[in-house]
Amino acid sequence: MDFKLDPADEAFRQEVRAFLKENLPPDLARRGACGFHPIRADQRRWQRTLFERGWGAPNWPVEYGGTGWSHLRQFIFDEECALAGAPATDNGGLRMFGPVIYTYAGAELKARLLPGILKGELYWGQGFSEPGAGSDLAALATRAVRDGDEYVVNGHKIWTTGAHTCDIIGLLVKTNPEAKQRGISFLCVDPATPGITVRPIIDIGEAHSLNEVFFDNVRVPVSNLLGEENKGWTYAKAVLENERATSAEVPLNKRKLAQLRHIAMHERSDGCRVIDLPGFAPRLAQLEVDLRALEWLTLRALTEKSEGAVLPYGSLLKVRGSELVQRIGELTVEALEQYGSYLYAEPGEDPDAKPDWPPGPDYAPGVVADFMYRRAATIYGGANEVQRTIIARSFLGL
Amino acid sequence: MDFRLTDEQEMLRDSARRFLEKECSLEQRLHAPVNGGFDAARWAQFAEMGWLAASLPEDCGGLGGDIVEAALLMEEFGRNLVVDPFWGIGVLAAQTLLAADADKARELLPLLCAGELRPALAHHEVQSRGVIEHVTTQARPAGDGAWTLHGEKTLVMGGNVADRFIVSARTSGGSRDRQGITLFLIDANVPGLQRRDVRLIDNRWSAEVTLDGVRVTSADLLGAVGEGWAALEYGHARGLIALCAEAVGVMERAMWITRDYLRTRKQFGVTLNTFQALQHRMAEMLIELELSRSMVYRAMAYLVRPLAARQAALSVAKARVGQSGRFVCAQGIQLHGGIGVTEEYSIGHYFKRMTVFENELGSAQFHLEQLALRECAEPAAARAQN
Repeated sequence: MDFKLDPADEAFRQEVRAFLKENLPPDLARRGACGFHPIRADQRRWQRTLFERGWGAPNWPVEYGGTGWSHLRQFIFDEECALAGAPATDNGGLRMFGPVIYTYAGAELKARLLPGILKGELYWGQGFSEPGAGSDLAALATRAVRDGDEYVVNGHKIWTTGAHTCDIIGLLVKTNPEAKQRGISFLCVDPATPGITVRPIIDIGEAHSLNEVFFDNVRVPVSNLLGEENKGWTYAKAVLENERATSAEVPLNKRKLAQLRHIAMHERSDGCRVIDLPGFAPRLAQLEVDLRALEWLTLRALTEKSEGAVLPYGSLLKVRGSELVQRIGELTVEALEQYGSYLYAEPGEDPDAKPDWPPGPDYAPGVVADFMYRRAATIYGGANEVQRTIIARSFLGL
Repeated sequence: MDFRLTDEQEMLRDSARRFLEKECSLEQRLHAPVNGGFDAARWAQFAEMGWLAASLPEDCGGLGGDIVEAALLMEEFGRNLVVDPFWGIGVLAAQTLLAADADKARELLPLLCAGELRPALAHHEVQSRGVIEHVTTQARPAGDGAWTLHGEKTLVMGGNVADRFIVSARTSGGSRDRQGITLFLIDANVPGLQRRDVRLIDNRWSAEVTLDGVRVTSADLLGAVGEGWAALEYGHARGLIALCAEAVGVMERAMWITRDYLRTRKQFGVTLNTFQALQHRMAEMLIELELSRSMVYRAMAYLVRPLAARQAALSVAKARVGQSGRFVCAQGIQLHGGIGVTEEYSIGHYFKRMTVFENELGSAQFHLEQLALRECAEPAAARAQN
């Protein structure tokens, strides 16, 4: 066992930090540090910057334009970016769909889809869940019927994050209605195709990131089929596994905890800092303890991943990481008192918009909106109850 | 960073596992007569297998390992709830002695490694409550460079079988000053020392030691006068990690015992493992166990950091492991039902061990409070970057 951080990794951290200082524009960092969903223009701008530095895809192999970094370096990179307030990069393209495409897709599809992800020109929506297929995803009913060189798609997807601003949708469809898992295929669909209707779903934070998407005789070229027909479940599972590996979101939680500290040191009660009120600091300390535990469980998962991990790390991390982001949010909203109750409307996609917000400190907007959105953290990516069942069945043999 | 064990470490762990399963299993102990938790012949075997030497440097008769070896052994001890005083003598006292006085360490630790010397650390006092620097035992000047020791020490782990005591006493300063703590090494049967052995709820043994005018001279000093704190901190840091590693072993075994029980116990015509409510509790137990294991790794990694970062990491670990350990072992009892609270069945003993854990080297609450004080004192930016 060797717990020392390699000096080369530490030097790498300094390199990333210096890069961020030099290249992350202050307006992006300001918007990135608040709790609203990142706006697409910021994401595109930042992804382009990373791409030009050669850091467009930290988790991809070099042959597809990735960095080839170790898991530890990816972790360091993510952490530094989060702490600096960099906008979240496209989780869908980089983490979930990209790896599935370079692993399973044919040469033509790879060439068509991967460069756009790298350059920040191709953003992904995840067309998986349906009204009748949530935790039981394989019960999905959206149909694709082959007609010559095209599939004709009919159905209804829900919870499609960013469908209103994405460039492509990774869509799970039934190509064989007789089979459950083995009748599922994976299509890459242009959201501008005729027959597609996107309807916004406003979440309880009064923000818009989620959508319903309706498919009415939508014609998708067969060349947009990922891998083989009826093998989509395999690919979807890989996507979800990619989602869960980073689902503890330690870098994000670190940023949120740092923000909570900052707020608790600046909000006051009759002149006394909130952090100094009896009972507050121990609750903060408990969050710190739980974050550190999660951080080192993530490090173990990343280190063991390359050797074929035995523990169901993804599920372990998903459960506790999602709980933690909610608990940090609770204490932050509480620390803000009235500013934790004010409605600070989501500014929308225009970076120059001047929202008409109620008064309050700079750190207030976005906190309660994010807190509301994160009620979904214990639901999305496979509800925590499903994860517990996976842990119990797959590892504990119950 | 590499979480894999070296071949030597793996051999150490495997041999410890085999030996302890065969010789020190809980089932054997449950029916053994209470004998102060000490078996001299077995202690000699510990020495022979190199366990007492595993985490000590070579110039002190050790095998050149460090905290990882101690943690590996303690985890195995935890799995079997071993009661032999390995932690008190082989970790806490040995590591404190190592840091306190290089010359005496080279002279005495080889004897400890050989099983021929059994020092215990007489440091904890009734009002310590986790604070390392809490020392009210007095070393009063008695002329000619001598002192007399006056005070009471409690929870001296392994004290019931110790032949020497490392005593912390105040030569200056207030009850919680870091400066002014002096360490002495004294014989267990020196005049003025009284010992009362105490059995703990988890079947291990400790001692209360009363010092009433014990005469010591500079020959009995460990390190410099008034400078004992650093050695205590060194010993406590390693002792804390070893305890946490033991707790991981305790939790892991408690979890599997419970799993096996659920697979065999039938109610309503089916085995208990088919109930989802119980499956989910077990999933929570695994999560807590693995978070705790991660905390032990982190604490080991932070041992080389400067004092403030090191102490914070140790507090983080002790708090988390204490909370997880209590949860896992309490769930273990709950999922067993009534048999879980019987002395004859194993699972309750795991809970008892974790109960004592909470009263050693500071409770989870104590360590959370330490971290809370830090939260209030340090700038937020500095905390985030750690």
